[in-house]
Order: sequence, then structure tokens, then C-alpha cells
Amino acid sequence: MTAPGTDEIVVDRLTKQYKKLRAVDDLSFRVRSGRVTGFLGPNGAGKTTTLRMLLGLVTPTAGTATFGNQRYVDIKDPLREVGAVLEASSAHRGRTGRNHLRMICKAAGLPDTRADEVLELVGLTPAASRKFKGYSLGMKQRLGIAAAMLGNPRVLILDEPANGLDPEGIRWMRDLLKSLAAEGRTVLVSSHLLGEMQLLADDVVIVAAGKLIRQGPVDEVLGAMSGGASVRVRTPQAEALTAALSELNATVTATQDGVLLVHGAEAAAVGHAAFKAGVELHELSAERGDLEQVFLQLTAGKAGIR
Amino acid sequence: MSLVNAELFKVRTTSLWWIMGIILIPLYAASVLINWAQASAGAPPADAGVSDSQSATIEAALEPINVATNLYTSGQYMGILVVLLLSAIIVTSEFFHLTATTTFLVTPRREAVILAKFGAAVIIGVIVWLFTTILNLIVVPLILNSLDVGGSQLGEPAVWRAIGLNALAFVLWAILGVGAGVLIRSQIAATLILGIVYVVGTSVISLIFYLLSEYVAEWINNLQVIIPTTASALMISGTDLPGSPPRWVGAVVLIGYAAVLGFFGTWLTKRRDIS
Ligand SMILES: Nc1ncnc2c1ncn2[C@@H]1O[C@H](COP(=O)(O)OP(=O)(O)OP(=O)(O)O)[C@@H](O)[C@H]1O
Ligand SMILES: [Mg+2]
Repeated sequence: MTAPGTDEIVVDRLTKQYKKLRAVDDLSFRVRSGRVTGFLGPNGAGKTTTLRMLLGLVTPTAGTATFGNQRYVDIKDPLREVGAVLEASSAHRGRTGRNHLRMICKAAGLPDTRADEVLELVGLTPAASRKFKGYSLGMKQRLGIAAAMLGNPRVLILDEPANGLDPEGIRWMRDLLKSLAAEGRTVLVSSHLLGEMQLLADDVVIVAAGKLIRQGPVDEVLGAMSGGASVRVRTPQAEALTAALSELNATVTATQDGVLLVHGAEAAAVGHAAFKAGVELHELSAERGDLEQVFLQLTAGKAGIR
Repeated sequence: MSLVNAELFKVRTTSLWWIMGIILIPLYAASVLINWAQASAGAPPADAGVSDSQSATIEAALEPINVATNLYTSGQYMGILVVLLLSAIIVTSEFFHLTATTTFLVTPRREAVILAKFGAAVIIGVIVWLFTTILNLIVVPLILNSLDVGGSQLGEPAVWRAIGLNALAFVLWAILGVGAGVLIRSQIAATLILGIVYVVGTSVISLIFYLLSEYVAEWINNLQVIIPTTASALMISGTDLPGSPPRWVGAVVLIGYAAVLGFFGTWLTKRRDIS
């Protein structure tokens, strides 16, 4: 076991200056264990740069990025503590998937048998002795995840792992990451796929232009931005329902033909009001805030590629 | 040690090693034949228009002991070229195939990775040296008997010293190759530059030195030994040939190159961002 706290990621006033461009700008956030944290931001926001600094591949201009209070470079057996998937194509084209993993085992002092175990875990066993150049994008991603799992680490860092995965693959990865977090591990995932993040993440860290925009549990971030949950109703008698709902002290917005969005009331209350007023309903659903909308709102004007 | 093992595993698990092997074997055979032809051609006639010091050099080179050391180190030229390129590729392929990220994630202490690459390159150098030397020990006694220069010459310490120095040359060039690979990260640039410098560099630079010594000052010619290939040739030559600096100078020059490239390369690798 490791010293307490090494499975918490701490980014503190992290800055990276490339010649003219400040790719990461005084960025601070924390990532807790036992949860999936989504790392979101438009193209060029500095996500990859941040993750690479965290993993000791890129030297920060200022600030620190640590596991607990330990830099990645100072961790004695880094693969047993932290697993990372950075880009899908970081294996030699002419080497087989199994040999790629064995090579890592040898360098990290892990038994060769781990290679076959993680191949099984990611479902790559049938392609294990094929060369990397023959892998599809999704297979490359799976090999990357396999490599990250070799040391059975307590912290996982993934840069856009959903890239190139088919719907089934995305579902598989979501389940895998959720179960890993449920085992108490720390999982930090960067992504553009906001719909996917909404299903996957417990917490989000949103960055734009190298700066932190918002951080917190998904529900909180969504709630703060969209002003609470809303209820969506579809009815052929929109006017009658609007009148009935005015008693509930809720705000009602008509969006399209016969669809009303109700803020400030529970779905049950809306249904009950409609029932009392004898209004016919075709649809009644509680809407969770939409991460995509919130994201676009938050990063508006800062999203341009620099 | 596990890192050196991992580096050797990397070489073993791609097609690189057998491609280099296929290149090496015919080149080795050719160099044995060339050395044989040279040894049996004999000295040029006295009025062939060669200067006194040149003919003295040629005469010395034709002494049985020098013929023997030359033959017993056959394959040095091409073997070292292969080791040099392979050593550079051990480094550059990490960037060419984008595996550097994986490598430095597994071992974030980068100097350990570079050190392991030096180790792996040295082992590869020794293997190629062993390969050519064992073949030489089988083939050369037969050639020497046919040349009638007085037996296999294997009783001569000078022969064994040449074989040992040949090993040192392989090792030093392997280190040089890794250092050069770190400096020139582009795979194509590194192999081209090393190949060209190694193969034609010597003659081009010799020409420059010749012109300098003719038109500027005679002593400049003595600096030829700073060319790595010349230094290497000097280091393994069986006895000190007239007109050349002592043999240890060649060794010092090569060790110097290997050390400077190695240290500078490691320092650079530690500083650079991997992205
Ligand atoms: N080595 C480098 N030299 C110069 N600029 C760089 C370098 N690496 C990244 N940048 C710049 O830093 C900024 C942040 O890049 P980064 O790759 O971290 O963004 P990102 O959030 O991962 O984007 P994406 O979502 O497109 O992957 C970009 O403007 C990029 O051009
Ligand atoms: Mg990125």
C-alpha cells in the first residue's frame, strides 16, 4: 500500500508557456478517488498538455501537478500507482499487441503473464499476436487501456479514450471505468463527447483557453447553470395546461408545437395539475440539465482555437 | 538490468534485427574477399610513382603480422556501420513510432532509459563483433595458409590485441550511435547523416585535410585522427604504421566522441518535452 492521499490528483497553479502561447494558465483543481472525473474543454484548451505535465512528459513553466504530494517522476513503481492512456498510436507498428505489453512488463518488472490477463480484460485476446499496424482505431484504444491496467493501478488517466470506439465499445468502456471508480480508484477522463460524459462522469473539470472555468459534481454544475431541473410536457391543449400550471407558481416556456418546459415544479405536481384540469397529456418527463448546453454556455467566446 | 532486457526485447520483437542481419552477411563476406585480394596483390613495383613514405606504409602493411591482423578483423568496417545505425535507430524509433510516450511513462527517469539504450547497444555491438570474429577465426587461417605468410599467426599477441581492440571499436561506435540518435531525433536524418559521414565522410574530410596540409600548414595533416573513422582504423591497426600517430590516440579520440555525445544526448533527453 502507498502513503495515504497518493490517489488524489492535485493540480496547483499549473502553467505551461509555449513561445507565445500560454497553453495552460494558472490552473488548479483536484480529482478525488472513487469517482469518475470528466476533464472537459474545447479544442486547444490545454487538456492534453495538463495531463502530460501530470505524467512528467512535459515540464511545467510554473506550478505543480502531483499525486498526493508526489510527482509522477518521483513515484517508485509508477505503473503500479498510475495507469495512463494518452494517444491511441503509441505502439510500434511492427510489434504485436502481446509483445507491446510484454515489453512494458519487462521494463516495469511485472510478470509476463499480466500481458495476457489485461488482453483478456479488454477483449483483445483474439488479436494478441497480430501486429499493431493491422489494428483498428478501436483496437488501438483497447490496447492502450490494457497497457494502463498492467500494473493494476489505483489512478487511471485517459485522454479521449472514446475516440474511435463503436457504440458497444463506448458502453463497454463506460462500464469498465465506472466499475473501476466504484472499487475506489481515481479516474480522470478527458473528452469532447459531452453526452457520453453526462452518462459517465460524477465530477467535471471544465477548462477553456488554459484556464479553469468550472469544477464540481455534474449535478451541481448543471443545476447552477440551468436554474434547477425542468419538466417537459407535450399536450394538444397547451393553453389550458399553462393556465392550470400558473397555480403552481412555476415558470412555463413553450418551445415547439405543444411542448412546454416547466421550471420549478416536480413532474408529479405537473401531472396532478393536468389531471385536475382535465388536460390530455402525450408526454411527461423530468429533464436533467443538458451538459452540452451548459458547456457551450460556459465556454462561449473562449472556445476559439488559439 | 531489467531495462536493458526490455530494450533488447524491443529490438528482438521487430523486423529490424533480421533486416540488419541480412545486410551484414554479404557485406562481411565481401570484406573478407577484399582483404584477401589486397593481401595477395603484394607491393607495387618500385617505379610505380608512389612516394617514399607511401611505399614505406604499404611495405609495413604487407608484413605478415599486419596482413594477419587486417584479416582477423575483417568485417569491422561494415559491421560497425550496421551497429552504428542500429544503435541510432534504438533511440530514433521511439520518436518515429511515437513509442517514447509509453517508454517514458513506464520509466519516468529518462537517464535510466538512455543508459539502458547504451547498454543494449553495447551488447548488440559485442554480438556483431563475436559473430564476425568467430567467422574470422574459422576462415582466416585457411586464407593465411594459402597466402604462404607463415601459418595462422594465432600465436602472435599482436593478433589477439587487434581482435580485442576491434571489440572496443564496436563498443565505442555503438555508444556513439546512441548518442547521435538522441541528438538527431529524426530517424531518416539520423540514419542518412551517420551513413554518409561513415561511408564517404572519411574520404571527403581526408581530402579537405590534404588540401589544408598542402596549402596552409603541414602539421594539420596530423589532425586527421580526429575523424572518428580514421581514429577507429588507427586504433585497431596491428603495429604502428609509419607516419601515423600512436594507436592510443585513436582510442582516446573515439572514447571522447562517445562520452561527449552520450552525456550531451542524455542531458538533452532529460530536458525535452515529450509530446
Ligand atoms: N509542443 C507544443 N508547442 C507549441 N504549442 C503547443 C505544443 N503542444 C500544444 N501546444 C498548444 O497548446 C494548446 C493546448 O493544446 P492541448 O493539446 O493541450 O489542447 P487539448 O485541450 O488537448 O485540445 P484537443 O481537445 O484538441 O485535444 C494548443 O493551442 C496547442 O497548439
Ligand atoms: Mg488533446
